[in-house]
Amino acid sequence: MAYESVKVETPLLLRILPVASVVLFFAVWQAIVDFGVVPNTMLASPTQVAVLFWEKLFVADPDGAVLSVHAWVSIQEAFTGFFLSLAIGIPLGLMMGWFSVAEGLARPIFELIRPIPPVAWIPLTIFWFGIGIPGKVFIIWLSGIVPCVINSYVGVRMTSPTLIQMARTYGATDWEIFKKICIPSALPMVFGAMTISQAYCWTTLVGAEYLAADQGLGYLITMGRRLASPPMVVLGMICVGLTGVAIGILIERVEKKLLAGIRR
Amino acid sequence: MDDTSKASGGRKTKIQVKNLTRSFGDLTVLNDISFNVAEGEFLSIVGPTGCGKTTFLNCLSKLLPTTKGNILIDGEEANPTKHNISFVFQEPTCMPWRTVRENVAYGMETKKFPKEKLEERLKYILDLVGLSDTANLYPNQVSASMEQRIAVARAFAVDPDLLLMDEPYGQLDVKLRYYLEDELVRLWKTLNSTVVFVTHNIEEAVYVAERILILSNKPTKIKAEVLVDLPRPRSLIDPKFVEIRKQVTELIRWW
Ligand SMILES: Nc1ncnc2c1ncn2[C@@H]1O[C@H](COP(=O)(O)OP(=O)(O)OP(=O)(O)O)[C@@H](O)[C@H]1O
Ligand SMILES: [Mg+2]
Repeated sequence: MAYESVKVETPLLLRILPVASVVLFFAVWQAIVDFGVVPNTMLASPTQVAVLFWEKLFVADPDGAVLSVHAWVSIQEAFTGFFLSLAIGIPLGLMMGWFSVAEGLARPIFELIRPIPPVAWIPLTIFWFGIGIPGKVFIIWLSGIVPCVINSYVGVRMTSPTLIQMARTYGATDWEIFKKICIPSALPMVFGAMTISQAYCWTTLVGAEYLAADQGLGYLITMGRRLASPPMVVLGMICVGLTGVAIGILIERVEKKLLAGIRR
Repeated sequence: MDDTSKASGGRKTKIQVKNLTRSFGDLTVLNDISFNVAEGEFLSIVGPTGCGKTTFLNCLSKLLPTTKGNILIDGEEANPTKHNISFVFQEPTCMPWRTVRENVAYGMETKKFPKEKLEERLKYILDLVGLSDTANLYPNQVSASMEQRIAVARAFAVDPDLLLMDEPYGQLDVKLRYYLEDELVRLWKTLNSTVVFVTHNIEEAVYVAERILILSNKPTKIKAEVLVDLPRPRSLIDPKFVEIRKQVTELIRWW
């Protein structure tokens, strides 16, 4: 299109500052551990974590799997839960926004379950599914579905009343209005739910794995604690963070593409 | 009230409004209004702000239920799924996710026009309204005046029994308004539609309409009826035009 994005020169200082802050952060961390300010049994230094990272790329011991396997298990669980929450949450939210019957049926239950933190479901989930993948997917799905339902619901609710009236004057049925007016008009909000839902899913994943798992990044952290190995705990944390960031960026890209596709 | 269609000139009665009343709680907005519209007539309705013009159109289009009275189209109770009623709203009503072409087609789509007829009619209307060049753009890529033309094109496209317009050009500057008013009159003539055009711009009403209904303040009644028996194209400085405009202004001043 004809618009050209405005280019703003970032002053040199502002470009240096973030780099400096990260460097300083790691330097201080390294120093704290190296000079024994914090004992090594309580915190690992960045270099120790880096060494363990390199090792864990190839060695399965002592926690039973190499890093890529842990990461892959976590990603699978998170994405399965994420897609399931999109697949059920979005249609449900959209219907709740337009059909009063759907709202009347689903709203009270949704409002009742919503304030319960997903990790509170863990014990029940273990009764039902054991500690395998299905249970964790269930918990992740519970946390991911909330923003999907809310955003889709609000998106439909924000449909311009004049557009709905316009459709009515041409004799459109409720279903036609829902399909051709409400859903397209809610789409930006619905796509917006993807980023939020993904973040929720990832956060809950670690909680779920921390309590009930035998593989996965959250499990790596648990094992680090059991083995009294601060480097493993910190490695697990960092991997969770970095993978989360990577997935976040990916989903944001997809969201932008989808939004550009409907051109507003 | 068969004598209301003085302008009909022997044309058949298309719309009958009988004892239309609408209240919101204790507030009576429309008070027992009756009139007829002839087939192919261009009727303007003027009235003060808040007198219930929009409410009135909403009742005609069945968006709002009436408190009392009824509206007949060709002798039958008006029904948006059976009759072709089109409504051009005060605000622009383009769907931002549809191209200009798809926006214009929406009414025909909803009315389930057969595909070939739809395409044919769409091309005809887009040419007639001068939107062919911009047909594949999105509403946010065209100007505000275009958006109202899209709504007008969409409304005419379904070949409406009754076309309702609620101050469609209220927000536009004078020059553009003259241009679009001419276009509207041309469309009406070409397509033989029946138009009810609401405005509070007296000059606009006299310029486009064959007949003007003047509404009173709430509770609203039809205060007077003025025939505009002027040849077209009309001139704003024609003494007869000025005379009618003054006449309507006088009637409105009387409130
Ligand atoms: N849903 C409603 N509930 C209560 N009162 C209403 C409702 N809709 C309209 N009214 C009242 O009815 C009256 C007429 O409103 P309406 O919008 O029809 O006026 P209008 O002639 O179209 O005004 P304008 O020239 O500003 O467009 C107003 O006094 C308004 O307060
Ligand atoms: Mg109005």
